[in-house]
Amino acid sequence: MKYILMMNGTKAHFAEYAKWSKQDIEANVAFMRGFSKQLKDEGVFVATEGLGWPDQAKLVRAGKDNVPITDGVFPESKEFLAGYWIVDVESPEQAYQIAARASGAPGPGGVRGNMPIEVRQVLSGHSDLGL
Amino acid sequence: MKYILMMNTMKAGCEGFSGWEKKDVQAHIAYMIGMAKDLGKSGELVSAEGLTFPDQAKLVRAGKDGMPITDGVFPESKEFLAGYWVVDVATPERAYAIAARGSAAPGPGGAPLNMPIEVRPLMSGPPPVNP
Repeated sequence: MKYILMMNGTKAHFAEYAKWSKQDIEANVAFMRGFSKQLKDEGVFVATEGLGWPDQAKLVRAGKDNVPITDGVFPESKEFLAGYWIVDVESPEQAYQIAARASGAPGPGGVRGNMPIEVRQVLSGHSDLGL
Repeated sequence: MKYILMMNTMKAGCEGFSGWEKKDVQAHIAYMIGMAKDLGKSGELVSAEGLTFPDQAKLVRAGKDGMPITDGVFPESKEFLAGYWVVDVATPERAYAIAARGSAAPGPGGAPLNMPIEVRPLMSGPPPVNP
C-alpha cells in the first residue's frame, strides 16, 4: 500500500522558516536528506519532492477554448504543500510511524519540530474508486 | 523544468464523487486517463497520483519518544489534495496550458468543471539558506 506523507504550511509558516539561522536550516536539510536515504535503505521509498515556495504558486483554470486563466492570489489561511514523500508499506500504522519520524525533524536550536504531517493512502489505480 | 499541478478541490467530509452519476464519473476518469496518456506520449509526464478521500486522512505528529500521535480532525476550510501531476516542460506557460486541460475535465452532465489547479515549480535542491 502506498501512502503519501505531506508537509503543509501557510505563508506565515514559510515566513517563519525563512527566519531560521543558517545552522538550523542546514541541520534540517541534513535530517531530510538522511531520512530519505534511510527510507531507501529500508525498501519503503517511492518518491520525494520539495516544492517551490508559495510566492511561485499560480492557480490555473480553463477559460474559453481551454485557454489558461492564471491567478496568484490566495487566502491567508491557505495551506501550501511544502513537500512530500511517498512510501510503500504494509499497514497504515507503518506509514504513521514514518510520518512521526519526519515530524521529529529538527527545528530552531535543533529542537524537535513536531510539525504535523498529513498522511493519506494513494490510489493504485482508478479501480480503487469501486467503479 | 519540473512543475507540479495540484487538484486541491476536496473538502473535509468529502466521500468521493457523491451525487455524480456513474456515467459522469466514468467520463471524468476516461478524460484523466486520456490526458495522462497524451502527456506520456509527449514525454512531459513525470508522475501522477490520485489520493484517497479526506475521510481517510490523518494528521501525524511525533509525540514523546518519537511515537506517532494521530489525529483525524481538520478545519472545514482545509483544502485536501485530490491528486496531482508532475510534468517536465520547457516553460511555465506550457505547465499552465496542461493545468487548463486538467481544469476542463468533465463533471456532472459532461460540462467542464473548470476546477482550479495549483501550479508550482518543484525544487531541484534544498531550499535557499540564509546568509
